[in-house]
Amino acid sequence: MKTAKILWERISSFVYPVAFGALMLILWETGILHQILGADTFTLPMPGRIATIIEENFPAIMTNVWATLIVALGGLTLGSLLGYLLGMAAAIFTKWGKGGLTLASAFNAIPIIAIAPILNNLTKDVSPDANIRSMVAKILVVTITSTVSMSVNAYRGLTELKPFSLDLMRSYAATERQIFVKLRLPNSVPFIFTALRVSVPGCVISALVSEYFAEYIVGVGRQIRENIVLAQYATAWAYITVACAMGIALYISLLVFERILLKGRK
Amino acid sequence: MNRLNWRKFFSSPKWVTVVWVLGLIVVWEIGATIVAGVKRTPENVLPHLYQIIGSVFSTQKVNGTQTATQIVLSNAWVTLERAGIGFVLGAAVGFLLALLMSRFTAVEKMVFPYLMMIQMIPILGMAPIVLAITKDIDKSRIVIAAILTFYPVATNTLSGFKAVEREKRELMYSLAASRWDIYRKLLIPYCIPYLFTGLKIAAPMAITASILVDTLQGGGGLGCMMSQSLKHAMTIYVFWQIVFLSAIIGILSYQLMVWLEKLLSPYPKELRGNQGKKELTA
Amino acid sequence: MQQARKLPEAFTGASDGVEIRIQELSVRFPDKSGTAVDALTHVNLEIRQGEFLSLVGPSGCGKTTLLRAIADLQQPTEGSITVRGQTPREIRLQKKFGIVFQNPVLYDWRTARRNVCMPMELMGIPKKQRTETVSEMLDMVNLLGAGYKYPHQMSGGMQQRVGIARALAIKPEILLMDEPFSALDEFTKEKLNEELLSIWSRAKKTIVFVTHNISESVFLSDRVVVLSPHPGRISAVVDIPLPRPRHLAIKDTPEFGALVAKVRNSFEGV
Repeated sequence: MKTAKILWERISSFVYPVAFGALMLILWETGILHQILGADTFTLPMPGRIATIIEENFPAIMTNVWATLIVALGGLTLGSLLGYLLGMAAAIFTKWGKGGLTLASAFNAIPIIAIAPILNNLTKDVSPDANIRSMVAKILVVTITSTVSMSVNAYRGLTELKPFSLDLMRSYAATERQIFVKLRLPNSVPFIFTALRVSVPGCVISALVSEYFAEYIVGVGRQIRENIVLAQYATAWAYITVACAMGIALYISLLVFERILLKGRK
Repeated sequence: MNRLNWRKFFSSPKWVTVVWVLGLIVVWEIGATIVAGVKRTPENVLPHLYQIIGSVFSTQKVNGTQTATQIVLSNAWVTLERAGIGFVLGAAVGFLLALLMSRFTAVEKMVFPYLMMIQMIPILGMAPIVLAITKDIDKSRIVIAAILTFYPVATNTLSGFKAVEREKRELMYSLAASRWDIYRKLLIPYCIPYLFTGLKIAAPMAITASILVDTLQGGGGLGCMMSQSLKHAMTIYVFWQIVFLSAIIGILSYQLMVWLEKLLSPYPKELRGNQGKKELTA
Repeated sequence: MQQARKLPEAFTGASDGVEIRIQELSVRFPDKSGTAVDALTHVNLEIRQGEFLSLVGPSGCGKTTLLRAIADLQQPTEGSITVRGQTPREIRLQKKFGIVFQNPVLYDWRTARRNVCMPMELMGIPKKQRTETVSEMLDMVNLLGAGYKYPHQMSGGMQQRVGIARALAIKPEILLMDEPFSALDEFTKEKLNEELLSIWSRAKKTIVFVTHNISESVFLSDRVVVLSPHPGRISAVVDIPLPRPRHLAIKDTPEFGALVAKVRNSFEGV
């Protein structure tokens, strides 16, 4: 039956992963996963327990989520704006820009581990309030990691044009400014999203890691660490689940946003 | 040795990079000077570069038995070794998974959404948990480095397999080539550049992961020393040396992959390192 | 799995001179929106042994689909194709087809020589024989000196020549060519047309050649099959009785012009 075959083709993309996920959950809840991994229910709590803890501590969890979100999204916005401006500057002064950006990509290779503590120290005097001090430091870290990604992609978006499109503009005697606004800028939009696909998950990771080093104890990442240190594994896992949920939610939002903005475009 | 053509040098991209690096050094030094004027212990915030360099060569024993440099280097080896093992492991698993996914559509459909999820999930945030499960700092370093390596390698290699043009596959089909031959003669050579894109992304990340795990617990390693130095258990210059060293190692690991690709790629010299669409997934 | 240790044996049987018999062939593609596209309808054709046959038509007429159906790269919706009594699949598995695509499909990581070598490697032919055959094939397409070049070092015409050499290396009985010269400039195209005819006259294979260029089809073929689109179907089969061997000068003769006109006028609904 041909229709059955076509139907299976479509839903198998759903069925397989859902079945696999369901299987994993069952293994977990029944304890078989523990046997496979050699872990105990203390360090690897049952999903049911984790859910209970989330429910019970919801307000506290949300405070931390909010703290992390501010850092992540704040740093992302700042970093992306800054990155785009840098990319623009590099596109305008191409000779110096290109070299500068290659150097910036080298920054990508520097572990965030190294950057976070430095910034923490540098911002010690920003404010007498430890919370604000830490916020600033953390946002700075996220900003840096977002900037690099966006600047490289912005540069490419502004300079990698389809063949002959520049020639076309020149044939209309367009000014450099017009070329920039009517050709380079729209051309760079897909590249912005390429950068965001990397920097959105990246900003969550940076936010979490920067919380480890910050002075003020707040944020999902910090809570994961603190709870492990206190051997409250179930709570730690609750926060991990929350962190995963944050990452997934942000990324899906990005995809939806991209779909809307790039509607109809290739 | 060629006579240095000054004019050519000054307009080359290499000169641009040199200028940028010099510029950064100048900015740093200015910052350090400002800080020195304002703070009591400036080296905690932003020491001068020559101070850092000086500490590398100093023979002052920092914790009773070792100089600053010795501490850094001996711990670096520990961290690197674990990162390396994790990296190789993760790369192997990633490559095999990509192979399986390209061979069996069922596997691909099952695993692909989870692969996407791994990208969205902050793996680095999971570091404490992995440590708690494995209860062994060495094992957890390896596991995390492996997980972080596995994702870029798997996705990039898979995209390499998928990028093979239809006509190349049809050619093999028209010659009734066996599946083994198709992999050996077409798909695997074709995906090598993509594999290396993944490796280039993963190498610095594996190192970052290893250092991060260090910070969570004692037992040696760069992260641990960095943490202790920050808490003033030993001179702050250990911290600064580690910062620079980790930056250098990160860049070097990337270069190592570039060099490895030049060595192993079946493509002719001019095309190595240049092939394939670079999907920067990280 | 048995691997052939030498080149495939020549065909046996089928003494009526018909190499490929196509009967009531139809190919229908389901469209994304649900409506079907009739790429080919009720195609009946007998291709003779050793013949040079062209399939000509505008895009959408089904010529490439027909070629791919013969090559077992496309399954028919209705009807049948037999190649001397066997199915296309059987022929493909015996590696008796040589295919040349529009894009040379060379492997960038292999030199010209090694690209030509590749099908023979798949068949397990010993190295000494492979090396000899590669040289022979490259010589046939006039590329013997360029054997150690990589694809990116060769022009489009050279690459396509390598593609032809590769297709001929396992001495197939049938050569299927899908617009092999479309991507090349007119000068190179004409030159390669002549070379192709000289190769064909030496090897006397059956060639099925797809093109959208009427002049090319008339120059090369014994017969020209004219296909029209919507739905894809054969509109006419035009005999080309021009004498062989043919050289480019023949394109200026009135007989040539008349045949081109005849082919052009056979199109329907364009």
